Amino acid sequence: MKASRSLYRWLLRLCPADLRREFGDEMAAIFLQSLHRARGIGKARVWARALSDVIRHGLGARQDSWQKFRKTSAYVESELVGWWMDTLRYDLRHAIRAMSRQPATSLIIVVTLALAIGANTAVFSAVHTVLIRPLPYPQPESLVMLWEKREAEGVMKNAVSPADYLDWARTATSFTGMAAMTEVTADLTGEGDPEKVTLAAVSAPYFEVFGTGPLHGRTFEPGDYTLTNRAVILGHALWRQRFGGDPGVVGRSVMLNGSPIKVVGVLPANAAFPNTEAQLFLPLVIQANPDPPSRTSHQFSMYARLKPDVTFAQARTEMDRIGKDLEAQYPQLSRGHGAHVTSLPEEITGPVERTLVVLMAAVAFILLIACINVTNLLLAKAAGRRREMALRAAIGAARARLMRQMLVECAVLAMAGGIAGLLLAVWSVSVLASQLPAVARPDQAVIFSLPVLAFTLAACLITGLLAGALPAWHLVREDPAEPLKEGGRSPVSLKRSLRFGLIVIEVALTSLLLVGAGLTLRSFRAVLAQPAGIETDNRLTFRISLPGARYQNAPAAARFFNELESRLAAEPMIQSAGGTMLPPLTGLDGRRGVAIEDREVGPDDGPTRAHPRVITSNYLQAIGSRVREGRGFNPGDTETSPTVAIVNETMAKRYWPGASPIGRRVRFTDQEIWREVVGVIGDVKHWGLDAPVNPELYVPATQFPAWAFTWVLLTNGDPLMLVPIAQRHVREIDANLPLFQVRTMEEVAARSVERRRWMMTLLAVFAVLALVLAAAGIYGVMSHLVSLRTPEIGVRLALGAKPGSVMRQILGEGALQAGIGLIIGLSGSLALMRGLRTILFGIEPTDPLTLMSVGGSLMLVALLAVTVPALRAMRVDPVSALRSQ
Amino acid sequence: MTQDRDRIDRFLPLKPFVLDVLLELAEGKKHGWALIRDLQQRDGGDRILPTNFYRTLRALRDDGLIEEAKGDAKEDASERRQYFNLTTRGATVARAEVRRLEALVVDPRARKLLKARYP
Repeated sequence: MKASRSLYRWLLRLCPADLRREFGDEMAAIFLQSLHRARGIGKARVWARALSDVIRHGLGARQDSWQKFRKTSAYVESELVGWWMDTLRYDLRHAIRAMSRQPATSLIIVVTLALAIGANTAVFSAVHTVLIRPLPYPQPESLVMLWEKREAEGVMKNAVSPADYLDWARTATSFTGMAAMTEVTADLTGEGDPEKVTLAAVSAPYFEVFGTGPLHGRTFEPGDYTLTNRAVILGHALWRQRFGGDPGVVGRSVMLNGSPIKVVGVLPANAAFPNTEAQLFLPLVIQANPDPPSRTSHQFSMYARLKPDVTFAQARTEMDRIGKDLEAQYPQLSRGHGAHVTSLPEEITGPVERTLVVLMAAVAFILLIACINVTNLLLAKAAGRRREMALRAAIGAARARLMRQMLVECAVLAMAGGIAGLLLAVWSVSVLASQLPAVARPDQAVIFSLPVLAFTLAACLITGLLAGALPAWHLVREDPAEPLKEGGRSPVSLKRSLRFGLIVIEVALTSLLLVGAGLTLRSFRAVLAQPAGIETDNRLTFRISLPGARYQNAPAAARFFNELESRLAAEPMIQSAGGTMLPPLTGLDGRRGVAIEDREVGPDDGPTRAHPRVITSNYLQAIGSRVREGRGFNPGDTETSPTVAIVNETMAKRYWPGASPIGRRVRFTDQEIWREVVGVIGDVKHWGLDAPVNPELYVPATQFPAWAFTWVLLTNGDPLMLVPIAQRHVREIDANLPLFQVRTMEEVAARSVERRRWMMTLLAVFAVLALVLAAAGIYGVMSHLVSLRTPEIGVRLALGAKPGSVMRQILGEGALQAGIGLIIGLSGSLALMRGLRTILFGIEPTDPLTLMSVGGSLMLVALLAVTVPALRAMRVDPVSALRSQ
Repeated sequence: MTQDRDRIDRFLPLKPFVLDVLLELAEGKKHGWALIRDLQQRDGGDRILPTNFYRTLRALRDDGLIEEAKGDAKEDASERRQYFNLTTRGATVARAEVRRLEALVVDPRARKLLKARYP
């Protein structure tokens, strides 16, 4: 009863405020009384009546005040609103009756619209989630990211070094706060299984920059930023899952890497931060570190908030100046280095923006095609109603009324399609949400929201009105005398050129979609055909990272990994096992300056750099990499043997062009040790199949300290069978070490093309949808035209025309329409597909094979759609066709 | 005089429901609740739509056909209700409407119709 009361009071908002204030309580009481008296379905009737009462008289009462001086008044018989509402109700009833009279046509229209609206709503939900909805921070537009830039190398967004961070934060005046974040992993033990967790180490104003406060406890204070007094803040999800949502956890200690750290706060559920999914936050300690902060180790993501009176351009100018000052101050370390500012919202939505815009365009095309189909169907329906309309106009129906009735019919169809589409969208949004590739957006769960609902409704009404306006206008404009004069004879045709044009547009739009889908499909295949440089089948990968607290020096870590490698190698199910610090196809990477012995650096050469790859001796075998020249590493490469290295082909070509690098020496610029190149291996795709390959320098794990390795195990059966075996061996060496990122190599490879696959699948689905709709549209129009022309065809057959030539004529007409549509669509695609260029890989937007196959298949589908009506035309019985005249 | 007649004409023809309200009030002052109760008894159903009813009351009051009246002194202040009274003008309009209806009914053709229906 209470809910009914508040709902009714809410409805009463339609009334003017003074009426509501004066009589609202009594109105609600009267309504509740009749609701109370009603039983069963009667309650629904009371509600329906109340709704119509409030809409009609509530809105009417708003009119009363400005109608006071007119002749009409609220209680005099002729009332405008009432008349309008009454006739509208009549129109609605009429529309529903008309729908049920032609169930097949109505069903096709509703299904067509449902598909289009469902697809639109689903994609719009994704667009809204990722692009339109503001980020979950106060004033997100004033959030920026800061980067180190090296313009000469074309690198604009490099991670920031601790020393640069401190200098920038000290000198910059454009920001209210500047915070650094870096991710580390640690083992969380005690209370439950040991777990590898990602930690975000954050500098002082991090939570303030994002405007995030604690749910329980506090965020960090200045006193937390010391090496001795460590504190940790829990993310909401971890707190719920591991600590059962107990607020008492604040003040207790958790075990991280075996040492206790005090929990000082818990974050609220909606707290989310860019570029990290960390559920534990530690204070980032730089100043207190006894070593001077490094200027060469780039590891920080940096976030800052602009002061309210500072523009983005001003901040950029200031950071440019600070970069130049630092370059002058540290000519050796910072030569060519600057500071770059980018907007955080753009950083987050930028990578998927184009994909979503393309998808949005694709579904908009589908909506248009659906509109055209519905228009065509309604035109066909309207053709059958010419006489009815003419008669009604002749006996005095106003044209506006006739027009409105037609539009109401369309709107009802559109709303039915919209409701079905909404149901479809609920389902497809959940599918889409589970498939949406990880983007940087921290809160990217795709959800229905009010704007999405509004968008669907608008799409419905616009579709209905667009699809209805044309036939309605067509009918109403006509001189009523014409159809009446024609008597029983069927009209020649409703503007053939109009329908011709609609089919042409439909074919053109469909071909655009097909070209888009074809191009993404072909580039996806081109990406998959790229040699990864490794083999992916029958391989399991997992990562192990040793906590520095228990493995304090490099030999201790090396002993652990040696032991693990020999244990795994001895396992009969494992054919080969090896580890790498930075696994391929994942984007985990590092980069260092290298020096190459006896290499002359020309003035135009960029800096000499390579991406280090620390690997164990069996890694190259385990991953299936090929040695092109020289040898791979072997167990003879130990701490004490001569230091060695392997380069990839790209590095060999770039730094020793035309010569063999074997026997030459290289070193990392921050190390003194020279390493002799003993082998060249084939290029391995590190960032993804579609990314270019960088120079890579492989060094053996025994000669380069490393605490974390991703292991690759090769077997001849199901790789997941190896998980318990690997777990057992690791536990036997160190009981407190979890395996993490446990995946098959095939999963790793699939993840690297996930976004591309997603885009391709969706575009393919949309293209098929468009093709089906277009085929249905062509079929509908042609079969309607044939049925209109049955008498004419009958006459021709009676006069001796051959059935074959009649069929050829119909087929030729269909082919002509499809052909013109194809020419328009394909030439349009030449212009439009340039926008796809950044998404494509390995093919041009004008790829002739794609264009030709789209043209061919669309023409085939169009001809198939025309064949059925053409066959029917051929079988027209001249006698009965003439008799029906 | 002509002007006044024009102004009365402006309200005609009244909706039957409005005439009912005026006739109820012609019996004496009533508050909204009582009006609805009596109208429903006459009508034999709960067809009274609250928004329509109060909108009509407000319009009638604004046009000066009815006016607000003081309630009974003995009534509890917390349940004070708005009473309404018919104004002279309201009575004139109601009378004009009744005359108009009467003129319709006394038409010989109407009588013939009635006779045919109730022999």
